[in-house]
Amino acid sequence: MSDLAVAGEVDRLGEREGRVRSMVRLYATLARVSMMEQFQYRAANYFYMVGMVIEPVIYLVVWSTIARQQGGSVDGYTAGTFAAYYIVWTLVRNMNIVFTPFGWEERIREGQLSAQLVRPIHPIHYDLGSFAGWKVVVILLWIPIAAVLTLVFEPELDPTVAQIATFAVAIWGAYLIRSLLLWMLGMITFWTTRVTAIFEVYFALELLLSGRLLPIGLMPGWVQDLANYLPFESTFGFPITSLVGPITNRELVEGLLRQAAWIAIGAIGVNLMWRRGVKAYTAVNG
Amino acid sequence: MSAPVADGVPDPGAPDLVLERRRMQGLRLVGLHLRVNVMNELQYRSNFAIQLIQSMVALGTGLVALALVFDRTDTLDGWTRPQLLVVMGVFTIVGGIIGFVIEPNMGRVMTDVRQGTFDHVLTKPVDSQLLSSVREFRVWRLTDVVLGLVVLVWGITGLDTSVGVLDGLAFAATLAGGSSLVYCLWLVVTSGSFWFVRMDHVQELFFGLYRAGQYPVSVYPAWLRLSLTYLVPIGFAVTVPSESLTGRLTWERGLITLGFLVIAFAITRFVWVRGSRRYSGASA
Amino acid sequence: MVEDVIRVDGLGKVFEVPVRDPGLAAAAKSLGKRRRREVTAVGAVSFSIAAGEVVGFLGPNGAGKTTTLKMLSGLLHPSHGDCRVLGFQPWRRERDYLQRITLVMGNRNQLQWDLPALDSFQLTRAIYRLPERPFLAQRDELIELLDLGPLVDKPVRNLSLGERMKAEIANSLLHRPKVLFLDEPTLGLDVTMQRRIRSFLADYNQRHGASVMLTTHYMADVEALCERVIVIHHGAILFDGPLRDLAERFASHKTLVVTLDEPADLSAFGQVMEQTGARTTLRIERSRTAVVTAQLLSEHDVRDLTVEDPPIDDVIELAFASGAVEQ
Repeated sequence: MSDLAVAGEVDRLGEREGRVRSMVRLYATLARVSMMEQFQYRAANYFYMVGMVIEPVIYLVVWSTIARQQGGSVDGYTAGTFAAYYIVWTLVRNMNIVFTPFGWEERIREGQLSAQLVRPIHPIHYDLGSFAGWKVVVILLWIPIAAVLTLVFEPELDPTVAQIATFAVAIWGAYLIRSLLLWMLGMITFWTTRVTAIFEVYFALELLLSGRLLPIGLMPGWVQDLANYLPFESTFGFPITSLVGPITNRELVEGLLRQAAWIAIGAIGVNLMWRRGVKAYTAVNG
Repeated sequence: MSAPVADGVPDPGAPDLVLERRRMQGLRLVGLHLRVNVMNELQYRSNFAIQLIQSMVALGTGLVALALVFDRTDTLDGWTRPQLLVVMGVFTIVGGIIGFVIEPNMGRVMTDVRQGTFDHVLTKPVDSQLLSSVREFRVWRLTDVVLGLVVLVWGITGLDTSVGVLDGLAFAATLAGGSSLVYCLWLVVTSGSFWFVRMDHVQELFFGLYRAGQYPVSVYPAWLRLSLTYLVPIGFAVTVPSESLTGRLTWERGLITLGFLVIAFAITRFVWVRGSRRYSGASA
Repeated sequence: MVEDVIRVDGLGKVFEVPVRDPGLAAAAKSLGKRRRREVTAVGAVSFSIAAGEVVGFLGPNGAGKTTTLKMLSGLLHPSHGDCRVLGFQPWRRERDYLQRITLVMGNRNQLQWDLPALDSFQLTRAIYRLPERPFLAQRDELIELLDLGPLVDKPVRNLSLGERMKAEIANSLLHRPKVLFLDEPTLGLDVTMQRRIRSFLADYNQRHGASVMLTTHYMADVEALCERVIVIHHGAILFDGPLRDLAERFASHKTLVVTLDEPADLSAFGQVMEQTGARTTLRIERSRTAVVTAQLLSEHDVRDLTVEDPPIDDVIELAFASGAVEQ
């Protein structure tokens, strides 16, 4: 058959935009499209955000009560620093909400994955781009909620410029890492549909080891050691602490480097799993 | 499988018989649907293992959170560790009840209304609120009830005070009352879907709020405590039954719960009737 | 000869499915060891399609149509056999391949539900890396051909099913694919909309010379678009050839409509299907058509006479039935 003819064909169809330019365009378009969509769902977004805020409020109330009972502070955390921690928590939490692993089953069942597979682009870009757009909406909607929480709980927050700058980068790092991790988790659905229990265990570990439940510094020593070798803290505790402190400039840099490392590891992991997963998927599903 | 189901269904060809049976219809409906649901779920036994893991993980993280608290302090707002274990047990039990019957039924109503299949409920010669409340049962969610009971007993054995028969009765009554209040709230929210098509977000909000029940509502600041008691009756559903076992329940609190329950039922009924009337009006 | 765009060689797909008997006991038993059974979705099919050809891919539900389309569009890895589309092995899913094909499924929606289709088009532009000018040219041409002008700036959720399908098709063709895989593109649409989409596809094929493989349940689609049909049944090809030969192959009878000067009994010539006044509809064996026609003309005063194949729907039904018997 005509491999030559086909080669010629490829050349003729070469009128395409540059790689980088089209990637930027893709992300910009995805983000814009999802921003427009999410603005239409302002009310839903608010309901969901108010529901979400309850979780840190529970932790905050419990721990500031303990701080007060202990004569003002627990290991240096006062009611005010707890308030700062858990209010910043709400933004970080919003930043690291990504496509849920529970959604993969539907994605496969409803044929959305198939639709993406016949297009010449890695499907992770859709998620990264559109959730990034949603984040912009979320940050805007979050401001009034943060204002109310600030009035109610009187946080003590006094970040340096370096801290603010690090925080601004770190929340996006957290977003990327969690996207990659949960993509890997979700891809397990390629091999088995009984994934719910695995997901639940994962989220429980994340809750305890990320600084979501409690600042890692207040956990028992061995938990802190363990958390050091796991990616979870980069997605929760580090961004929060980078703004709330106490943290040295050296720790800020270290934290960012750690995030970079987890992004690299996550990207490699996603790639490896994706290749195998698609093979499994195209063997049976399609 | 169709035969045992069919023999319980009132014969449509014998209207007199149906009327005669009406008094028992409520119970019969519950029994029937429960049976069908159990049969269905028994086919997927591996779901039980999954549910068990999920329940244990959820409970486990709750217990870890408690352990972290009592690593630093002996009492939280006057509640001791065994007392908070009791709260955790009740929280898990009520969560199980919600997952077993309330949430699946209310979720089904929302989907039915959205897809127009709610007609099937309205065309049956049965009270629509009753039927809508007992069609779905997630049997495996009862694992939460069982695990919750275990934690509850564990907590009770650690209490300084003893739990008498009267306390046990009060507990059963307040637990039933509190769960009914949750049902009322959920039904009102669900009825909202007769007016506004999408109510799932409100449901999400409720799930968020329910988590607050892990601790006695008295630890929360006043604004939150009041909304958790009267707006979203978690205070009644979790805290009050826990109080009955930890010697905190007063007669007044019990009576308030009862009064509130009566009012809530009336409001719920009113909203439901108006809502379903609106549905048939809109689709006619 | 024109270069083949699609060449399929002994392509097949076998699925392994768990077997479970109904009933509680069986359910419990299946928890331990699972029995598996092999199900052949597509046996070993071979065909080739030339550039610019429009081929109707027919078969009853479960015949293997969609499975074949999925293998050709790279969504399924075949169990055996090989195929090349535009020289690519589809399931390697190379970008250069995906860039050149499109798959439209009638019941799936790829457009952003809450936004105007124009926004989805922008997204497609970015995905296929289309430079501005060719993108706009192609977009405007599609909008014109499909009458989409007043629709593209309305949110997709406000469009009717047919309007949405038109927008969907436009979205799938923005990158000027060389090969179109269309799975039931007219499913669930009303007759007018079906006709509209048909004439568009014919028009588009004329203009761009793209190859089209189309599955459908509507024979009108096939009659309007496809000179050639491939009939697949139980995973095997039953027929591959021009549409007009289909009747010859599967319909053993023809329909003869005769109008005489005066009413007469024609039952000697064949089975009388219908008689109103002097007009008689006869069902006759295909092989006897010429003989019967000549006889009629010589023995009666014939005012009008037409020989027809049975309606295509009936022919297809006959084809499936014959396939079912053979299997």
